[in-house]
Amino acid sequence: MIESDKYMNYNYLIEGPVTSGIVASLIEKMAAEKHSGGHSYFLGQVRSDVIDGKTVVAIDYSAYEGMVKVQADRIVTSILAEFQDVRTVRILHSTGIVKAGEISLAVMVSAGHRKQAIDACAKTVELIKELLPVWKKEIFDDNSHAWRENQ
Amino acid sequence: MEVKVLFFGVLAEVTGTAVKHYSDVGLISDLKHRISDDFPEVVHYNFRIALNNQIIEGDANLKAGDEVAYLPPFAGG
Repeated sequence: MIESDKYMNYNYLIEGPVTSGIVASLIEKMAAEKHSGGHSYFLGQVRSDVIDGKTVVAIDYSAYEGMVKVQADRIVTSILAEFQDVRTVRILHSTGIVKAGEISLAVMVSAGHRKQAIDACAKTVELIKELLPVWKKEIFDDNSHAWRENQ
Repeated sequence: MEVKVLFFGVLAEVTGTAVKHYSDVGLISDLKHRISDDFPEVVHYNFRIALNNQIIEGDANLKAGDEVAYLPPFAGG
C-alpha cells in the first residue's frame, strides 16, 4: 500500500473550478513517476443544460468534507486493489461556484500500461458519482435554482 | 451529552440549518424524532444518515461528541 499512502495525504476538494493550470500541474507532478507508461484523465465539465426553458449558468457545489476524505480514500484503495498495474490515482473535486464550461472534477490515473490506466480511470469516475458526498445546486439564467441528483 | 447534526444539500436549504446540536439523545431513532419535530419538512425528502462519516442503516447508540449527518442523494462529478 505504499503507493496509496503516498497519494492519499492531500485534500480532494478545491474551492472553485479545476483550472487548466491545475490540470497542467497534475501532469507535471507525474514526471516523478517514472514507472508509469501512461496516464488517463477524466475532466468533468459543468454542462449548460436547458430545463423548462431555463439555462444552467453555473453549479454551486457543496460537500461533506470529512466524509469526502473517508470515501475518496476508500475509492483510491479499492482501485489500487482491483487494478494491479495502477500506480497513482488522483481525484480533485470542486466546491462552490463553477460556471458552465468550467471543469468541476479531475481524475488522473497512471499505470504501467494503457489498458489499466483507462479502465481504472473510468471505474474511479463511477465510484465518485456513487460514493462521494457532494451536492450540486444548478443556478439558472433567471437566478432560480434546482438541486440535481446523479442518475 | 451532546451530539452534532449536519444537514447538507437541499436539506440544509429546507431546514435553513447547516449545523444543530442536540442534548440528551441516546439513539439515532430518538434523534430522528426530535429532528422531525423541529423540521417537519425533512420527511418529504430522500436521505441517508451518516454517523461519524459512516453511512448507517437502522438504529445505533449515540455518545457525546458524535457527528450525525443528513445526506440527500449524492450528486458529485
